[in-house]
Amino acid sequence: MYAPFELEMPGDLAGALDALAAGRDSKTVPIAGGTNLIVDMRAKRERPDRVVALGEVGELRGMDFGAERISIGGRTTVTDLLRSPEVAEAAPSLIESARLFAGLMVRNTATVAGNIACGSPAADLVPPLLSLDADVTLASAAGTRTVPLDEYFLGYKRDVRRPDELITRISWPRLPVPSVNTFYKLARRKGDAITVTGVALTLCAAGGTCTKARIALGAVAPIVLRARQAEALLEGRALTPALIDRAAAAAAAASSPIDDVRASAGYRLHTVEVLTRRLVSRAWDRFDRQGDQGTAASAAVPAHEVTAQRRAGSDGRSA
Amino acid sequence: MSNERTITLRVNGREERGRFPAHRTLLEALREIGHMEVKCGCEKGDCGACAVLVDGMAVDSCLTLAWTAEGAEITTVRGLGDLESLHPVQQAFADGGAAQCGYCIPGIVIAAKAIIDEHPEPTEDDVRLGLSGNLCRCTGYTKVFEAVSEAAAVIRAGRSGQ
Amino acid sequence: MTGITSEAPSRPNVRFRQVGRPLTRTDAPGKVAGRTPYAGDYVMPDMLHMRVVRADVASARLVRLDVSRARALQGVACALTAADLPDRAVSTDIPGQVGRKRLDTGQQILVRERVRYFGEPLALIAAETRDVADHALELVEAELEPIPGVYDPVEAMQPGAPIVTEPDNIVAERRIRKGDVEAGFAEADVIVENTFRTPFQEHAFLEPEVGLAWVDENDVVNIRVSTQVIEHFRPIADAIGVPHNKVRIRGALVGGGFGGKEDLTVEIYLALLARRTGRPVRLEYTREDSFVGHGKRHPFVLTYRTGVTRDGRITALDVRMVADSGAYVFLSPYVLLYALVAAPGPYRVDNLDVFARAVATNNMFTSAFRGFGALQACAAYEQQMDEVAKAIGLDRMELRRRNFLKTGEPMSTGFVPPSAIWTDRCAERAWAALGEPTPARGPIRIGRGIGCYQQSYGRLTFLHDTSEAWVGVEMDGTVVVRSGVTDIGAGQVSALGQIAVEALGTTLDNVVVYNSDSAVTPLAGTTTATRALYMTGNAVKQAAEAVRARLVERAARAFGVAPDDVDMGFNEVFVAERPDRSMPLVELVRICGAEGIHRSELAMFRAPFTDFLDPETGQGQAHPDYAYGAHAVEVAVDVDTGEVEVLKSVAAHDVGQCINPAAVEGQIQGGAQNGQGYALSEEMLYEEGRLITPSFSEYLMPTAMDMPKVECIILESRSGVGPYGAKGIGEPAMTPVAPAIANAVADAIGVRVFEMPITPERIVRALKRRDGTGRLDSPA
Repeated sequence: MYAPFELEMPGDLAGALDALAAGRDSKTVPIAGGTNLIVDMRAKRERPDRVVALGEVGELRGMDFGAERISIGGRTTVTDLLRSPEVAEAAPSLIESARLFAGLMVRNTATVAGNIACGSPAADLVPPLLSLDADVTLASAAGTRTVPLDEYFLGYKRDVRRPDELITRISWPRLPVPSVNTFYKLARRKGDAITVTGVALTLCAAGGTCTKARIALGAVAPIVLRARQAEALLEGRALTPALIDRAAAAAAAASSPIDDVRASAGYRLHTVEVLTRRLVSRAWDRFDRQGDQGTAASAAVPAHEVTAQRRAGSDGRSA
Repeated sequence: MSNERTITLRVNGREERGRFPAHRTLLEALREIGHMEVKCGCEKGDCGACAVLVDGMAVDSCLTLAWTAEGAEITTVRGLGDLESLHPVQQAFADGGAAQCGYCIPGIVIAAKAIIDEHPEPTEDDVRLGLSGNLCRCTGYTKVFEAVSEAAAVIRAGRSGQ
Repeated sequence: MTGITSEAPSRPNVRFRQVGRPLTRTDAPGKVAGRTPYAGDYVMPDMLHMRVVRADVASARLVRLDVSRARALQGVACALTAADLPDRAVSTDIPGQVGRKRLDTGQQILVRERVRYFGEPLALIAAETRDVADHALELVEAELEPIPGVYDPVEAMQPGAPIVTEPDNIVAERRIRKGDVEAGFAEADVIVENTFRTPFQEHAFLEPEVGLAWVDENDVVNIRVSTQVIEHFRPIADAIGVPHNKVRIRGALVGGGFGGKEDLTVEIYLALLARRTGRPVRLEYTREDSFVGHGKRHPFVLTYRTGVTRDGRITALDVRMVADSGAYVFLSPYVLLYALVAAPGPYRVDNLDVFARAVATNNMFTSAFRGFGALQACAAYEQQMDEVAKAIGLDRMELRRRNFLKTGEPMSTGFVPPSAIWTDRCAERAWAALGEPTPARGPIRIGRGIGCYQQSYGRLTFLHDTSEAWVGVEMDGTVVVRSGVTDIGAGQVSALGQIAVEALGTTLDNVVVYNSDSAVTPLAGTTTATRALYMTGNAVKQAAEAVRARLVERAARAFGVAPDDVDMGFNEVFVAERPDRSMPLVELVRICGAEGIHRSELAMFRAPFTDFLDPETGQGQAHPDYAYGAHAVEVAVDVDTGEVEVLKSVAAHDVGQCINPAAVEGQIQGGAQNGQGYALSEEMLYEEGRLITPSFSEYLMPTAMDMPKVECIILESRSGVGPYGAKGIGEPAMTPVAPAIANAVADAIGVRVFEMPITPERIVRALKRRDGTGRLDSPA
């Protein structure tokens, strides 16, 4: 790979932030897992002068499971997520996404912060986090701020992060009981694929009505985005097939996909609608079955079970 | 280039030194110091042929900067076993006909080792998911799946026999 | 997961001790231990590193090419352009071509004036380090003036289409006329016509093209290279202007070929720069280079018009084929010939008209790929069989049963294949093995499909193919085989070893096979065309049996019995039925050594030599023989999203005789993966000839998550023309897979997608078109 640059490997967060602050005048970028940046540098899409490696920065690791919120370090890897029973309980959609994230070697190094910061609309951890109302904590040598993930992205590969800032933590509130939190990745193959259409859903219910809906859409717009109108249609109502159809249509209407090598815009609009309808219906059916007194916050089917069903070609994909 | 420096890589239990620029990937560095068993297939993390263990975790060495691997325990396929003393994973791949052209095998064997380390009794799903970052064009994976299961069984039997 | 059914014992009194067993291949331990050096693992002191500068448009005039800044970069040893080259071209060796279209396969080595495809090489750079070479690549300035190109083979045939290479875009035309097609259609109750499209395919071997060249003390250019064909030393020598004996190809175990390393890849560039710089030069393609650095599978447009009676008898078949040859000829005329011959498939069609054309475009050039035209024909004829069955309301299997070509019957060219034709029993076995159907549920529909095939093994007989091998027994009883054959991963070398030790009464761990060196191993011909086992296996068998005969003759004298009474096995020589009368093999070898009995043999095996097919009727012999079999699948299709999952994949092939069943299964299972990707997910997308999917994250072959376990049913008719009655399995393994999947998808959703790959999007579009539920409109 011919892309000469200076490489710094600070030993702690302060050192990393200082290195980024010092590099403001040159093109300085942080590297964590490197699974995006090294590819981009090799393709000459990125030509940094200085690279700040975060591998030694311990403060960026660690997961904290509080009573109210879950908080994970920015350098949490996809494998870290998969190995955590607490994450499986607190964020089923994130686990479903993490399972199908690239291949084993990439999962072992790719980080949550990196997946957010790469700014790709197909970044697979983002729809689940968005469906969980996640916040992002940004730190620089000058201080720390927290922004809702919902407000993080400004446009295609553009975000609110300044070059001297790092995503240090990602946090989200615990899901109420009962709720369903789920993600479906539609891709051109099952293993190690880039998403064609991704839909993450959080649905909460009480007393026979939907109390909260979060629908996050991946790979169908310049950024990962919420289908707010669809959410609004669902919230405060008892869901009916007709209402779910309207919400699904609203999700498609919120999308502004493009044609690319994976699929046409038209196919993406179609599948956003299909998948939204399917996920919402399935979630609502589950409340029905459980008399909306769901036993666990993570009413979603455990990830391995979902796949087992998919393999059997059965309920996993049925509406 | 001014940003070169000499680093020490601990590969298969031996310390080896090399002088590399900052942009040198671990894949390139390992091959430069003679570890030709680490294969280059795509240089962008799509194929897994270059997989090695870094502190026990399987990584694509093409997506790892060599400098950042200093101090870590790096294991290539040759660190698992040699011709006279094949590792159970290697033995199962050889005897099960899971290696055809063999070019993907150094990476697949490493991934298989990592899968069995994490799941001593791997399910089919564990194996498929664990190998989804390793492309093979020859085998269709059927014999690879069988070899991983066989190796896991041999390793389990070896453990319980001790 | 495997059953082997052997019938018809090959010969009385032959008991296999090595052949037919799933032995651990001789190459396996080195590969799993990481000890096997591939061509890219060789380095030399003082070696230079090369890169190829490529055109970034598909059709252009090269106005200016300036390498002066690259040359000036410190560490650059050489930057070569067409201006520096002698006025030479490189050719694809296509002997025996006849017919009315041009035979000239010559092409420029580096672009002189006209760029004809995206990625065509403009310049070569050699530098002290890879970094410097990479840097120099960026300093080359090329001014390319776009010229209108043509990117569709059907458009390329229209009057006024841009001409890729004068005089016209028709690269090759082939024809079969047999029987009376008009009368056949008149006799038909129903005529079914469909047009099928098959795509480009990338070989996607995991080892990119790589080589190392140096000039030795005899002024011989040595090239250590990953190739299927060491005989390329001849066209290389011709291209660089040296005698044939001044180029030596030293192969290595190949990291996958599939036809993609059948043509020249890096060899000429290496030879040129090694000679020019006087230093060793190494060139390794990046994956992106590889995507544009070797020929792809020919896309075909195939129109099938079938006349059939109500009771399912095919009365006539008219086939029109157009193949996209891309920017240069390469092996297109051959690929087209295979498609032509295969057009009716494994069916008896007495009234047949096939017209096939290969057409130049400014797309990536196309050449050899596992299945070699016959596969594209199969993709069409097997889908057509399902459509014909549907049209007359007959069961798909029953239609096939009523039309299968049977042993001893003439095929499309009038030739009667010499071996058994077991398509029927393969098809029945594969179909039955699908077992109980998986239930459909919700939007998940289940479908099944079968693909039956006829695929040649061995090269075209008018090429007069030969293969040589040398076999010798060492004084300690170990065996050495020398043969130029290349091993591209299927276990070619190990199989030769197995044959040699079978004949010489020892075991596989006692043989070493030296292969793949054009100067010192007897030339065995290419590892292509499913010919390595057939040709070189026969050569090794001949050589080994000649040595055996001499050993046995001496042993017979020692035992005082007739040679026919002597047998050998597991390092012992003994009187058959009297194992108490025996001696160690090593002792016999020592006696032979002391008495000057020749313990080695060089043998040549010759395939049948024929003339070319009749140019007007296409009648005659095209290949030595054919393999037959079937592949069956069950799929699940999500009718809302179009996602397809292959649930079951079962292959049944008559391989004649297994040499190593594990290796045969490996070929079959790998073929299933190649075919599944071809059918469903692998797609090379171009914009004005520019490849926009040049990586494994865009070009999607099935992963471990996508492949079902592939079940293998191996039948052994022992009727083939290979050693011990073997046929071939390399190409046949893949040929029927894609149409089986296409038929299963059509079965699941009730509508056919006529173009591969059958992507989720194409499925949704087909369903919407049928149901009249609108189209997939893009937003304005």
